[in-house]
Amino acid sequence: MLYHRITGLSAGLTAALLAAGTAQAQDYPVDTVTLVTHSSPGGGSDVFLRELARYLGPALGANVVVENVTGGSGANAIADLAQSPADGSRLYATTPTFIYTSLLSELEYGYDDLEPLVNVFTDPEVIFTAADSPYQTLEDVIQHARDDRGTWGAANPASLERQSLEMLKTATGVDAAVVTHEGGGDLMINVLNGTLDIGVGEIQELAGQIEAGEVRILATLTAEPIEAYPDLPTVQSLGYDVAVRKFRGLAGPKGLPEDVIAAWERAIPEVLANPEYQAVYEANSLRPDFIPHDEYAAFIAEFGAETEQFLRETGVIQ
Amino acid sequence: METLLATLPFLLDPSILIAAFVGVTWGILGGALPGISPSITMALLLPFTYTMDPAAAIVILASTYVGAEYGGSVPAILIRTPGTNAAAATVLDGYEMNLQGKAGLALGISLYSGFIGSMVGLVLLMLLSAPLSSVALAFTPPAYFALGILGLSVIATLSGDSLVKGLIAALLGLIIATIGTDPVTGSNRFTFGSADLLGGIEPVMIMVGLFAMSELLAQASKRGEVDKIRSRPRIEFPDWPLAKRLIPSQLIGSAIGSFEGVMPGAGGTIASFMSYNEARRWSKHPEEFGKGSPEGIAAPETANNAVAETAIIPVLSFGIPGSNSTAILLGGFLIHGLQPGPMLFEQAGDVIYGLYAGLFVAIIGMMIMGIAMLPLCVWMVNRPLPYLNAVILALILSGIYSIHGSLFDVGLMLAAGVLGFFMRMLRFPFLPTVLGLVLGFLVESNFRRSLVLSGDDYMIFVDDRISLALLVLSALFIFGSLARRVIAALRKENRLAFSEGSEG
Repeated sequence: MLYHRITGLSAGLTAALLAAGTAQAQDYPVDTVTLVTHSSPGGGSDVFLRELARYLGPALGANVVVENVTGGSGANAIADLAQSPADGSRLYATTPTFIYTSLLSELEYGYDDLEPLVNVFTDPEVIFTAADSPYQTLEDVIQHARDDRGTWGAANPASLERQSLEMLKTATGVDAAVVTHEGGGDLMINVLNGTLDIGVGEIQELAGQIEAGEVRILATLTAEPIEAYPDLPTVQSLGYDVAVRKFRGLAGPKGLPEDVIAAWERAIPEVLANPEYQAVYEANSLRPDFIPHDEYAAFIAEFGAETEQFLRETGVIQ
Repeated sequence: METLLATLPFLLDPSILIAAFVGVTWGILGGALPGISPSITMALLLPFTYTMDPAAAIVILASTYVGAEYGGSVPAILIRTPGTNAAAATVLDGYEMNLQGKAGLALGISLYSGFIGSMVGLVLLMLLSAPLSSVALAFTPPAYFALGILGLSVIATLSGDSLVKGLIAALLGLIIATIGTDPVTGSNRFTFGSADLLGGIEPVMIMVGLFAMSELLAQASKRGEVDKIRSRPRIEFPDWPLAKRLIPSQLIGSAIGSFEGVMPGAGGTIASFMSYNEARRWSKHPEEFGKGSPEGIAAPETANNAVAETAIIPVLSFGIPGSNSTAILLGGFLIHGLQPGPMLFEQAGDVIYGLYAGLFVAIIGMMIMGIAMLPLCVWMVNRPLPYLNAVILALILSGIYSIHGSLFDVGLMLAAGVLGFFMRMLRFPFLPTVLGLVLGFLVESNFRRSLVLSGDDYMIFVDDRISLALLVLSALFIFGSLARRVIAALRKENRLAFSEGSEG
């Protein structure tokens, strides 16, 4: 604890010195911003945050540090944030996980106890199949599911990937088995050995297999085509109204002050436009997807309501 | 050859070199302490491997295993108390040689035979693991289910005296494995609203509690004086005529050790005793056995070190741990998100080649550290037990706490320790519990996944050829060991062979 205070203090001092040195960085209300993630050091969200933190400091006019509050699939981090002061000094890196965890468990604090701040990125979700599978298009896969028994796979049971497959099932009206796994590795084996017709995954997680020519991507679940794969059709353009947005943004305790919100709405687009940072996130197939505060709150509320409905319909929660 | 080339670069990796040396040193110390088995020595280290690089973490655990198998012979020779179960056979002739004033030579033969056994084991590990797992992609959900069942069927051989106790112990592990998130629907099970239980209970908490914590509790309830070493022995290696004489017994030890290592449930203890018996049967001087025969040390010590390497083969290829020690090693893989089994070679080849290199270094390290650490081992074996146990307790608590900085985990581990204490008192074996815990989720999730795939048609387990073969093998395994039990009961044989398998 003492150690934390000392590092906090020195970080504050550094920030103050930096602020004194530069002319435009001045108006963020606190010296140090702690970005909390539920992922462990080295995990997906953690890497995303640490990269972001490097470029945020100057844009925000504050010192940005990352803290890992792991455990309980995000439950601990949500509880931590809900009880933190709403002064913009402590924020939470949101992913759909925080909504799923809130809905799946009867937690003391849930996603609706936090205030969504802004969104930063979207991870494009795509539908893929093994390179040696007979399916050349999404239509082939759906035709197969109509004629025979379709087998579609998602990495985890309570996830946006599974939700998107269930949505596709409803949209196409076929009766395919939606098979869930214990992570992307398991799913990949079953796609590669032909047990599954298709799988759904984030494009950056598939990059290795795509490059190695082991999998073929059939369609993207994003609303817009992906820049890196201009020929890849969206599922919507194929006539099935399914699109999902795997968001990566920030949330804080309820009642964030106006100036904090304004500072972030200014800083995020600035950071996203930074060419140096652009090179980093583009290499990781992250799509910049800035959503300002008001819109983001509505987006999260809608996402939460849709997810809750999905979980009830599939019998996961009562 | 390819394996060899892939392994070579890791020999120069400093993190692997350090892990191998630290592991083998720690293993020799743990092995030398009577009552601290190789699995406990490894379990104590397990929490500290969280922050390590995966390859280094696996190397340090495997090297500990290798070191402990040698370390166990030190007190066996010096104070007639085997440091590990597998060193029990070494007591017979080792202590006799000590009485004849040849303790140094006995230790030298043990170390040198251990080196040979380990090297043979390592070569087999490198040759066999990859081919066995090359069927990776052929493993579909029903095949994984059947593989888990094969792993669980080992319980039939591992249950010690009582099959019923083994089954109860396994059930306990299976029950713990259901806590957390449902693998198919994603809803929460048995979490009782606790956020700490959402992710399930990590096997490491239970393993450390069962093996290490319960041992401390058991030792705390014992009273009495421990034997002390009066002399100051120095290691002496055999000369050429003697070395030549040891070759047949070392060959026997290597062969039996390697075979028993690969077979799940057999383990080091059976291997040592079997090779001791076979060495005597084929020896030119069978009359010397039991009266200080050097061959009587060479055979079991070669065997138990060969086991330490070859027992890793089923873990790497199929994710099936055949002993407590390899179950802990499997725990080490799981901590780093690596599921040992057919896919491991594709997903984490680096870790495996790192492991091969690390083991090679550890075996060389065992020769060096075995000589250098003898005075330390002698000193340690002479310490009063209370001091030693206090240090171990501090190590367990800090190790578990440091994993997630969570007191809840410490509580879980302590609860597992109390559970383990009562299991010891009631003579329940631990391995079935650990197997149930690590395989329960694999079996359940793949069983349900298979049924989702087939639309609730159970024929999927028969239609899949690998699944069918593994299920038949499991059935043979179970009936085979049942038959052995029946025959043993009919003959009213000594049950030593069964009860030995449950420890180590």
